[in-house]
Amino acid sequence: MDSLWDENADNSSVTDVEWSRISDEYTNSGYRDGITAGKEASSQEGFDAGYATVGVPLGHQLGLLRGVSSVLLSFLKDSSDPSPSPSPQSQRQALLVEAQDIASQLARVRFSDIVPRDLEAEQHAREHLEKEDGADENEETARRREMEGIEDMLANLGASGKAKDTSGRPTVDDVHALRDRLAVLAERLGLSLGIDLKAIALPHG
Amino acid sequence: MYSEFDLEALLHVEQSFYDAGYQDGFAHGRIHGLIEGRALGREKGFEIWEELGFYEGFALTWRALLVKQGKEDEYVYIFSQRPSQHIRYLLNSISQIPRINPSDTSAHSEEASEELDIPKLLWQIRSRYKVLCSSLGVRPRLLPAESLEDQGQKEDAQMVDATIGQDSPPSQVDPQRVAPGSSIPVWKLDNAGVRKPVTNHDLNF
Repeated sequence: MDSLWDENADNSSVTDVEWSRISDEYTNSGYRDGITAGKEASSQEGFDAGYATVGVPLGHQLGLLRGVSSVLLSFLKDSSDPSPSPSPQSQRQALLVEAQDIASQLARVRFSDIVPRDLEAEQHAREHLEKEDGADENEETARRREMEGIEDMLANLGASGKAKDTSGRPTVDDVHALRDRLAVLAERLGLSLGIDLKAIALPHG
Repeated sequence: MYSEFDLEALLHVEQSFYDAGYQDGFAHGRIHGLIEGRALGREKGFEIWEELGFYEGFALTWRALLVKQGKEDEYVYIFSQRPSQHIRYLLNSISQIPRINPSDTSAHSEEASEELDIPKLLWQIRSRYKVLCSSLGVRPRLLPAESLEDQGQKEDAQMVDATIGQDSPPSQVDPQRVAPGSSIPVWKLDNAGVRKPVTNHDLNF
């Protein structure tokens, strides 16, 4: 095989051009098909991982807190209920205000406020940005890389823009603080829920 | 003879360029598939389990309230028998929902039957929750807060739901037949990209 090309020493420049044209064309074509196939082959795996490791625990814990707080709130609102230990009206009122505040703050929390960062995704987006000024790419590849870079950049802008918008948004720490207040409230009402509220910890980024 | 040999070598060369490109592309596509699948799985898991967690917290807190009141007031104790039973049913149904996406079971038939169970179980849980609410005389929560706050999330959920029942969706993108330059947005990390071809494939929940 090697000898074949050696014999063509005269036409080496033509061969080189041809060689690189073929190389680019078929490599790119394979790359395109490969990226589609690779993506399809792995998206279910990614889905299952995100579902089990982040989505389910995050949702479950926030839901638990919301469920508990909503019951405590409606229980305290219902003033006709004989209070467990006949407490002064003002004390009960204070508990009600506390329950109201916890419940309304928990209701404000969104998935996007507490979801941990996907560091792998961010890392990969950075890699795209770095590759953007690659040296010997043909026009098509360069164009594609440019588009990738722009898309990633837009995604980053979106993310950072969201961060600006969300300056007043609740954080994981806020949710943990609400959790502690809820636990105190349940304790003061003398309730044993069968779960340890204080053990609830949202996954941090 | 010379040209024949040349042609054969060329064919081989094309194939190996294509294969090399395909391998690189596959690896890259895999990263993107994992990232996008993960984002979708996180959202879906959160959405489902926020709702289930709410019901669980609701049931546990009411149980604690009923137990507490029951100890102090025999009349209430007798009166609370019915809600207590509904609470047990509800908690029992919730405990049956798997916390991982069952899509990764290898046996296909098993997978399908398990998949069908989940919407049914969810339906059962929702109705048990409503029955519990009416037995307690409280108004049920209408919708998980997320569905109201974030319509985009809801769309995603519907998209995933739509794949239920499609045991083997016809592969829409045959890797060998994708025209060069077809613009499948495999690089997108944003939500818009997530909603495109990957979701059609089989992010079965």
